[in-house]
Amino acid sequence: MSTPTEQSVPRLSVVVPIYNEAGSLPQLHEELLDVLGREVGGFELIYVDDGSKDDSQAVLRGLRKGDHRVRLICLRHQAGQTAALAAGFEEAKGEILVPLDGDLQNDPADIPMLVARLDDGFDMVAGWRKDRRDGWLVRRIPSIIANRLISWVTGVSVHDTGCTLKAFRMSLMKDRALYGEQHRYLPALFAGTGARVTEMVVHHRPRRFGESKYGIGRTLRVILDMLTVTMISSFSQRPLRYFLFLAMPFFFASILVGITAPRELLGQSEYAIDTLAVLAFMLPFMACAYFLLLGLLAELAVKASDVHSPHADSGGPA
Amino acid sequence: MSVPSTATSSGSPVESGARPARDVDVSVVIPVTRADSRPEEVIHGLSEELEARGVSYEFVLVFDGVAGAAFAQAEALLELAPGKLKMIRFQQPFGESACLAKALDVASGSVLVTSPAYLQVEPGEINLLLDGIDEGADLTAPIRHPRVDALLNRVQSWAFNLVMRRVLRAPMHDLNCCFRAMRRKVLDDVTLYGDVYRFLPAIAHRTGFRVTEVRVRHKAEFGGVGLFGIGVYVRRFIDLVSVAFLSRFTLRPLRFFGAIGGTLAFIGGVMTVGLVIQRLMMDTALYQRPLFLLGLLLFVLGVQVIGFGLVGEIIIYTQARNLREYRIDRIYE
Repeated sequence: MSTPTEQSVPRLSVVVPIYNEAGSLPQLHEELLDVLGREVGGFELIYVDDGSKDDSQAVLRGLRKGDHRVRLICLRHQAGQTAALAAGFEEAKGEILVPLDGDLQNDPADIPMLVARLDDGFDMVAGWRKDRRDGWLVRRIPSIIANRLISWVTGVSVHDTGCTLKAFRMSLMKDRALYGEQHRYLPALFAGTGARVTEMVVHHRPRRFGESKYGIGRTLRVILDMLTVTMISSFSQRPLRYFLFLAMPFFFASILVGITAPRELLGQSEYAIDTLAVLAFMLPFMACAYFLLLGLLAELAVKASDVHSPHADSGGPA
Repeated sequence: MSVPSTATSSGSPVESGARPARDVDVSVVIPVTRADSRPEEVIHGLSEELEARGVSYEFVLVFDGVAGAAFAQAEALLELAPGKLKMIRFQQPFGESACLAKALDVASGSVLVTSPAYLQVEPGEINLLLDGIDEGADLTAPIRHPRVDALLNRVQSWAFNLVMRRVLRAPMHDLNCCFRAMRRKVLDDVTLYGDVYRFLPAIAHRTGFRVTEVRVRHKAEFGGVGLFGIGVYVRRFIDLVSVAFLSRFTLRPLRFFGAIGGTLAFIGGVMTVGLVIQRLMMDTALYQRPLFLLGLLLFVLGVQVIGFGLVGEIIIYTQARNLREYRIDRIYE
């Protein structure tokens, strides 16, 4: 609860979520302090302990001892990486936020480069692990497909939206809640609100301590997340358009049946095949109609909220 | 829905004088939901035990739209135990969760004990609950053992708790016994509405509080309740579904709808495409295969379920900007 004095408000806030990383912490901390110490404008280093089961918390308490630039937030139970980052962002005081993985796969030495790029007029600089040190099948291929799809739909050409290492302006987090798995999709989400987003190649190091915390089971989840992210980033002002977009294939399927089998649909018939044609025509048509109705419901939800009221974007007082 | 404040203030709070300045150790909250309840029995039983334990205590009775004999009895008690009894009366029933929420406003104890309005377990067992709190737990929940009610009730209770453990992923064994002790901070963190009262230990566990369970001796149920009707089973199940859905998927509705819809659409899609390929390759007429229709229907259904999930995501994105998925334990500055 100690309130910092005026001059100690830092420019950079580095947020590192920690879950069972006791092994890598001392080296990470040393590298971070080494790099950040040379930054102009001061920094704060925020570790968020996401309910670690090993002695990460004790190690962190030892590392921060006496250093007021280092802060430690302990969560009461494991809430996941996005929530841990959200907790850190909420507490951060700096004007530039830099999230970073706690497993040493990101290289702290890349931070000054990313921050410097912000001065070129960008709101966010995303890291791109071009030379990725992970298994192909489980990690890289699903990630490549997901990234291509996201940049295709949202129009943001970021190669590696899942890379935790980024730098962005604190103002982007204003009025924005971070939940679910959204930390992976921040470039698309920010671009959706008009932020200028670019990317830079960052180093990626193979994992040395601990275990990887993901498996192949997340492919379906990535697809679902993508549906959400594209909707929120590009269509949250006009969800009906998104639902229309989803209804299109069904509309065309319905038309296709209508064109190829008009006789079966309209004429008299004793054959079961013609009944089937009616169903093949009507079912996609119904799906299409349902999508429109759901889209209207979504419009209502947006209308009822103040997400897109003018002051929400300008950052001024309500 | 939580209770609208106007509705509760239109109830007639009968408090024993002004709110006491001093805090007590234990507040016992008793929601009275039936006109033939016997809260005085609980008050007598528990105050003896609490007196013997040497802690300061108070009782908060919340009459959930109930008047009649129970209320008259309690009003008489008000004179017997001055300063130790507070009463709130709702003019219409709002449910146990609302009772607890309102009681929280007037209760001054640092530890709260909730109890049904009859002696469901031996009153002496309150010591076990409070011991658990003293040993560092945030909430202690009872497990009635041995049970003394009908076999069928025990079976349904066991099945309910089994399903609850699976879907809520909380290792609780007896959520049907609401005789519990908890620290105040547990309730500060939980929105009390609907059936949350029953699920409190599981919800507390999920938000990172320390919950321990203790074995207590069961007393014969009040009024010799017979077997539960089918309606009870249906209601329990629906409550469980809603609590599980809300506690696990509030901030990611598409994970829930998407898993169901995606599975249905995938099965339907495979059937449909498979049969079309068969039709093209082997000349098996589609009208001879009812499976084609089934596949088509499943696919459309699955896609619609996903659509509902997307509407859920929009609702959460637009309306729930203050929800937090994390709970901060401590901050070291």
